[in-house]
Amino acid sequence: MAELTQNEKRLLAVLAREGNAEALHLARHLEATSDAVVQWAYLAMDNGLATVDRIVEKGFVYTDEGKKYCEHGLPETQLMEKIGSGTTLAELQKHEAFRIGFGQLRKKGLVVVKDGSVSNVDGASTSEDEIALKNPGEGGPRVKELIKRGLLQETEAIRYSIAITPAGELAVKQGLDLREEIGTLTRDQILSGAWKNASLRKYDIAKLPKKAYPGKIHPYQRIIAEMREILLEMGFSELYGGIVQQSFWNFDALFQPQDHPAREMQDTFYLKETLPLPKGYEKVKAMHISGGETSSTGWGGIWREEKAEQCVLRTHTTSVSIQYLARNPNPPVKAFCIGRVYRRETIDTTHLAEFEQLEGIVMDEDVNFGNLLGILREFYHRMGFEGVRFKPSYYPYTEPSLDAEVFVEGIGWIEMGGAGIFREEVTAPLGINYPVLAWGLGVSRIAMLRLGLKDLRQLHHSDIAFLRETPAFRRTGGV
Amino acid sequence: MAVITLPYKYLERLTRTDRKTILDKVALIGSDVERIEEDHADVEFFPDRPDLFSPEGVARAMRGFLGIETGLPAYSVKPSGISFTIDPALAAIRPVLGAAVIRGVTFDDESIQSIMSLQESLHWAVGRGRSKVAIGIHDLDTVKPPFHYIASPRSRKFVPLDYTEEMTMDEILVKHPKGRDYAKIVQDFPLFPLIVDSEDHVLSFPPIINGERTRVTMNTKNILLDTTGTDAKAVSVAVNIICTAMAEAGARVESVTIGGVETPTLAPAERTVSVKECSRLLGIDLTAEEMAVLLRKMRFGAQPEGGDKVRVQIPCYRADIMHDWDTFEDVAIAYGYERIIAQPPATYTVGKPNPVQVFASLARDIFCGLGYLEVMPFTLTSEETLYRKMLRPEAGGALHVLHPITIDNTVVRTDLVPLLLEFLNMNKHRELPQRLFVVGDVVENCITYQKTAGVSIHPNADFSEAYATADAILRDLSIDYCVRESADSAFIEGRRADVMVNGKKAGVFGEIHPAVLNGFELEHSVAAFELDLRAVPGYPVP
Repeated sequence: MAELTQNEKRLLAVLAREGNAEALHLARHLEATSDAVVQWAYLAMDNGLATVDRIVEKGFVYTDEGKKYCEHGLPETQLMEKIGSGTTLAELQKHEAFRIGFGQLRKKGLVVVKDGSVSNVDGASTSEDEIALKNPGEGGPRVKELIKRGLLQETEAIRYSIAITPAGELAVKQGLDLREEIGTLTRDQILSGAWKNASLRKYDIAKLPKKAYPGKIHPYQRIIAEMREILLEMGFSELYGGIVQQSFWNFDALFQPQDHPAREMQDTFYLKETLPLPKGYEKVKAMHISGGETSSTGWGGIWREEKAEQCVLRTHTTSVSIQYLARNPNPPVKAFCIGRVYRRETIDTTHLAEFEQLEGIVMDEDVNFGNLLGILREFYHRMGFEGVRFKPSYYPYTEPSLDAEVFVEGIGWIEMGGAGIFREEVTAPLGINYPVLAWGLGVSRIAMLRLGLKDLRQLHHSDIAFLRETPAFRRTGGV
Repeated sequence: MAVITLPYKYLERLTRTDRKTILDKVALIGSDVERIEEDHADVEFFPDRPDLFSPEGVARAMRGFLGIETGLPAYSVKPSGISFTIDPALAAIRPVLGAAVIRGVTFDDESIQSIMSLQESLHWAVGRGRSKVAIGIHDLDTVKPPFHYIASPRSRKFVPLDYTEEMTMDEILVKHPKGRDYAKIVQDFPLFPLIVDSEDHVLSFPPIINGERTRVTMNTKNILLDTTGTDAKAVSVAVNIICTAMAEAGARVESVTIGGVETPTLAPAERTVSVKECSRLLGIDLTAEEMAVLLRKMRFGAQPEGGDKVRVQIPCYRADIMHDWDTFEDVAIAYGYERIIAQPPATYTVGKPNPVQVFASLARDIFCGLGYLEVMPFTLTSEETLYRKMLRPEAGGALHVLHPITIDNTVVRTDLVPLLLEFLNMNKHRELPQRLFVVGDVVENCITYQKTAGVSIHPNADFSEAYATADAILRDLSIDYCVRESADSAFIEGRRADVMVNGKKAGVFGEIHPAVLNGFELEHSVAAFELDLRAVPGYPVP
């Protein structure tokens, strides 16, 4: 048996005195509403201490029209009284009860009309209907008809009869603690010591609380923050740069040929804005055309200034890191950037026109390809991916290039990002004289895996329920 | 990306080993196996290696990688005695021509398909959609040399491939499917490129379509290859890739004379590379001999030259070797990425957060403390959302993209509150109150900086809530501010204020105007606040 509430105890105490009683009656004793008493009684019933008998009583009430007829008689009664021998239909029509009354008389077959005069049928009487109206009692077909005519309305009255069970009587006999229960402790009770004699209401811990929704960081932002922290721990400096970039820094400085398909307007968001080329751009131009002073042949062909001046929404954050390197050509440099990048893609569940990219660079004397693999392995391990492997790949501005794959339980090897050493064609014209290790990864791919999302758009057009329900902390790393 | 179909039987015959050995290792030379089917595999190769866009090319590379046949593949080229003339008028139209004769081919359905698909992949990867390079393949025995590459009047008629009637070249650009696809490459020129034989039969209207006359069939024994374009290097690579692939399949390549020059030679390029530079870049210790062995595995010719140097012959089909480091990547691939020791560099540096992100994090902490939930809306939005629904005039420095994909993505956001109101609209069915915030980039006059904003929607949201929220955030960010009456029409008059920092407007807060609520189809009042984070003392302003 569950712990009794204060109200149940009070109810039982009264019932023990009064025996079987109506809720309304008990309510007066308990100084409560009868609804409340019924609720307590049901609780006591669940505990086997009382019984509740729900009694439904049907009754009838008069409508305004019904009330009128009760006093003056039904229209058909009134009309019938006017019918004598030789009464004409025209005379009857003048009577105020004619419209309803005559219809009823005809319907009940109590009158006949012949040659314009009206006469009652032998033994015609409306008295049974009058009795049904005045005393609807238990109902019946005539009462039903009156309800249909809108003269009576059916009502239902519910009473509750409450009785104590032997178990209830036993409980009362064993003594009930009837001290006032306290919900919230007051300052006064705490200070005065009154709490010592108070009975504190106990709560039902099986009942879930109303949900509270704390203010929270977006689950995607949390993953970004985790990556950011890992890179800061690994000694990288954080970069921040503009979304709007000149083609020169987004493409040309990265040795992307001017006729490269990625530069076409189908793939890149171009802007009408242009910016003047930076000082020394000619070295980049020479690199494209002939390979400058390196062992490279360059792309050959033509290189147009106007094309390099045009602004785009950055297609990668490499446009930010390459400018940082150009400004800071002295080793060592370890830097990273997490930012939004843009591709002219039709948006669907797996493609967005804008998404977060993480990019890291390391420039130092004698850093090498093996070091790049080492950094990537370390980063992915810290992100919780145990299995990491590398395979050859191609990026226009790195050589050698690679793709990193991580092992995800239940899925297999998943491509996570690309990396490589910046080509000399990229570094030499900017006065960078040491190898630059560079890698990038799509942050949203990890987010999709971690958060179990099927639709990338949910990261940006989030359902608030998703944000409220996604835990801030997940026990396992990786996925 | 180019996905190449590799029929097992053909591939096994050319590679001289079984399919399992090939498929197990093919990813290690730089590819993704897309599908394994009953009789073939579809494998994706990178755009820098067009020489792998055919089963013949893949077999050649795999024979080297698997150690079946290493070193430089030898291709002999005999002169065919056939010559081409080039019309000087083509200089401004489509100046470059490459050509070759390929004899003794044996075609079946599969090998015609294979050569067509190589041609298409080259059009894409090397030819930039035929503008830079276009390739034509003809049955040599249907025409009579010498051939002439001329600039022809557009009214010239011939029967294009897949048709039976003659059309003028102008008509081809309108009526023929290939004409329509590629018209933009030539349509602005007064004369069109055309290749004819000694009897004035049309071989090709590059880069659009061949003539029907020279159609390649299963009976074709000898091929004439024409390759035209705007870039000599790209044209020559395309010729070399096709010729060597056909040679791998057993055909004989013969050169032609173009403007007095014998071509193609299929001869390798040479460069001498440093062993030390390679070892340092890759982080593996190599001797000159070891390096040469690895290069030969990748089908280079390679001889140690004594000391630090290795002499390398680069096969004529390798379009991607521009720099010494390109050969080093091949050394790494031959060595095996999995064998390279992954060792983080010893470089000592101290991690340093960027102040912009530090302030963004702070704003997040404060908003979270106030019970706000973070959202991360897109930065691309529309004038409709940013301005019209907000009853605001368009910001002067708003950035419009030139070729938006949809009307919802035309402009980069200059403000954040409109995007939050959009969020509230999307979440109307969720429990109230809803309190949302965002921190992120906005762009004005090409300058990217960060703003933060919050909205609160519930039946009692009002100016006081907006003011209290704004004040809490401004105080916690140590921003010394004052307020003044705002004229922002997105808010209710008398329930709005501008945040002033150092005499400049840095933000706004208040109760959103009911007409704006109607615009976003919201049903309750909204208290809103937006702040330019450049007002935070110490924010780095470029």
